Amino acid sequence: MGLKSWDRQRRERQARLDAAAPLAQGKIVPTARVSALLRALIRPGDRLCLEGDNQKQADFLADALAALDPAEIHDLHIVQSGVVLQAHLDLFERGLARKLDFSYSGPQSAAIARALDAGKIELGAVHTYIELFARYFMDLTPNVALIAAVQADHEGNLYTGPNTEDTPTIVEATAFKSGIVVAQVNKLVDKLPRVDIPGSMVDFVIEADRPFYVEPLFTRDPAAITEVQILMAMMALKGIYAPYGVRRLNHGIGFPTAAIELILPTYGEALGLRGKIATHFALNPHPTLIPAIESGWVEQVHCFGSEVGMDQYMSARPDIFFLGQDGTLRSNRLMCQTAGLYACDMFIGSTLQIDLAGNSSTFTNGRIAGFGGAPNMGADARGRRHASPAWMQAGQEAAGEAGSLVRGRKLVVQMVETFGEKLVPRFVEELDSVRMARDLKLDLAPVMIYGDDVTHIVTEEGIANLLLCRSTEEREQAIRGVAGFTPIGRGRDRAVVERLRARKVIQRPEDLGISPLDATRQLLAARSVQDLVACSGGLYRPPAKFRNW
Amino acid sequence: MNAPGMNAQSDYYYEASARERAQGLLDPGSFTEFMGPQSRCLSPHLAQFNLTGAFDDGIIIGAGLLQGMPVYVAAQEGRFMGGAFGELHGAKLVGLLRAAAAHKITAVLLALDTGGVRLQEANAGEMAISEVLRAIVAARRAGVAVIALVGGRAGAFGGGGIIAASCSRIIVSGHGRISVSGPEVIETNKGVEEFDSKDRGLVWRVTGGRSRALLGGADAYVADRISAFRDAALAQIPNAPPFTLESLQAEQARLSQRLAAYGTCRDATEIWRQAGLEPPAPVADLSEADYAGLSRLPEADHDAR
Repeated sequence: MGLKSWDRQRRERQARLDAAAPLAQGKIVPTARVSALLRALIRPGDRLCLEGDNQKQADFLADALAALDPAEIHDLHIVQSGVVLQAHLDLFERGLARKLDFSYSGPQSAAIARALDAGKIELGAVHTYIELFARYFMDLTPNVALIAAVQADHEGNLYTGPNTEDTPTIVEATAFKSGIVVAQVNKLVDKLPRVDIPGSMVDFVIEADRPFYVEPLFTRDPAAITEVQILMAMMALKGIYAPYGVRRLNHGIGFPTAAIELILPTYGEALGLRGKIATHFALNPHPTLIPAIESGWVEQVHCFGSEVGMDQYMSARPDIFFLGQDGTLRSNRLMCQTAGLYACDMFIGSTLQIDLAGNSSTFTNGRIAGFGGAPNMGADARGRRHASPAWMQAGQEAAGEAGSLVRGRKLVVQMVETFGEKLVPRFVEELDSVRMARDLKLDLAPVMIYGDDVTHIVTEEGIANLLLCRSTEEREQAIRGVAGFTPIGRGRDRAVVERLRARKVIQRPEDLGISPLDATRQLLAARSVQDLVACSGGLYRPPAKFRNW
Repeated sequence: MNAPGMNAQSDYYYEASARERAQGLLDPGSFTEFMGPQSRCLSPHLAQFNLTGAFDDGIIIGAGLLQGMPVYVAAQEGRFMGGAFGELHGAKLVGLLRAAAAHKITAVLLALDTGGVRLQEANAGEMAISEVLRAIVAARRAGVAVIALVGGRAGAFGGGGIIAASCSRIIVSGHGRISVSGPEVIETNKGVEEFDSKDRGLVWRVTGGRSRALLGGADAYVADRISAFRDAALAQIPNAPPFTLESLQAEQARLSQRLAAYGTCRDATEIWRQAGLEPPAPVADLSEADYAGLSRLPEADHDAR
């Protein structure tokens, strides 16, 4: 066995570090040498993570990488959660990168579909966040990670600030498997507010020519919430949160869940639910949660990332949020996703399309939007072994009379208005994503949340409790029974739907004692972004595009 | 169900529909709508574009009492096509103003909430605006006080901005915006360097109610409440200036002075600085009480309009 060497990766790493050493003073590389640094450290065929998180982007390094010569650097395998910048697409358009494994694309969803169709991208898979993170430690470990932090000191210690997000996970996988970690920072300082990433895991630090970009993704303007969404929010509170006593949960980012957050202090209070529901959240810091926090509803919130404008507010609420000793938020996507998967009793979010089996997707024609975290939030965790009243009640309902050994179930609630923009029905026979998967010859049709994980569907017409359905036919009729005037809804069997209603499988607003006439914007604890600012005592500083004063 | 605010009549002006504004401005129960939705007067143009019309064409007109005094009221529905002026929409307002002049009504409350001309109706919409302007002048000449109220989502833009400026008095709230070319229009035509429409703080500093009131582009500033607009209208009606050659010349002189003094300023903050009226904090962030304590430009209080 003496011929086998066991440190090939380490020697490879050392050779690259040696090549880059003349460019640096210790770990610090001058801004202008960014291209030379990347050329010294990156080799064709490398597996590379160019930190693109849900929010934070290593945009300075992305631009520098995308400008390199494809004759020198090519066939990169990009493994990162977010593909959201033009530079990310340029890597493929310019022939620097070939293969892609990612989670979320957002604004680049159409460009990715086009590049895929044109053969510019060889797609590994579209993952969920923790699924991709898991593969960092199995078969997609990066050779090089280009990451973003707020500040570094001269030892290479990093302060990632409120948007820590994916950084610890990326660095963990790369640094401990002979990979190379390069950090772009907004500023070099002598002393950091706190150390988020120890310098021993960081090889080079380079000051970017501008602060890294963060997109405000989780701000929903209360002024845009409709009365239909408020009606759905009332039904969700009275028909799901209250009877199951849901305390630990995750909210999606749509307007219907923003409406729920904003009626907790009004409608929820009137129902006497404070302290009984919605006390612990795995959630980005939604500005619309401020009134519920301020009125004492929320006990604690752990965050995947941060949100533009929320930093000061969170720093002033240390009992609610996870903060460093320096007083600023520490987010962590991996930890928060894990909390959402195993420690939440409910996921509730909106979707763009839902089929007769309850499968839903946000991949619409010509767009590969990715999954982000929703599939993990919106899936029953089969490995969960701790009981809670909400989880047990859901399990009991699913088992019906049959169960002697009953396991619990996570509540997975889809809120969907029957018609979307331009009066396009949200309920469909076949998801767009299924057709797209056929057209693009994907191995797996992209489904955001599988029907067998969905427990409830809330529309303006009512709530369908799929846990109580005893056959595929009942499920289909329960879904048709809340699908309103869409073709799917009009295809219902009235007699069956009425029987389901008698069994409370379907509940209309009137069955829940809710009058649609009460669903007015007066129920919102804040009706505008300005109200949110006032509610926060001026601590919330909304980004310019959300102001109307 | 007795949650805070539930089932209570909302007093928020910004949130209210045009009909709620018309009713809320007047004495309770006194509003009579003319050509209401039951008359089904639909725009003759929208159907050609496969657009759904509204049975009131986006404007509510009628009569009622303001503290016992007979007045007319018109309220645009900013949520229907941005409150834009079409042929029928404009005709309803022209008719109301002419009736006010003919019947010597003391005042017309004009709740503007509009982006200007309804593009689909093009020339018919432009003509509607001209006819409204003529009718306002005629009504004012006949002694009617025409009071513009601006505090809705759409503001008063395009021809709506010109209409506001030709009224006897303008009352505005913090959400209200008054201008002719909208922020996006300026950006499209002159470039983002000239005006960044996404910098919403800038948009409100230049066109918003607080700035307009401080600089004299509006005569009264009120909180975002229907009752506050009503109180301000009651206060302004007796002070409505006559529409005479002298008042026009005075207004022209005032505006020329302002242009000479502040014509090169690119932002409202520069005007305040030049006028020596630097507010203690960004004007938008002041509480209503602190804002009320600010002094206006010396020439903002005038009797010209």
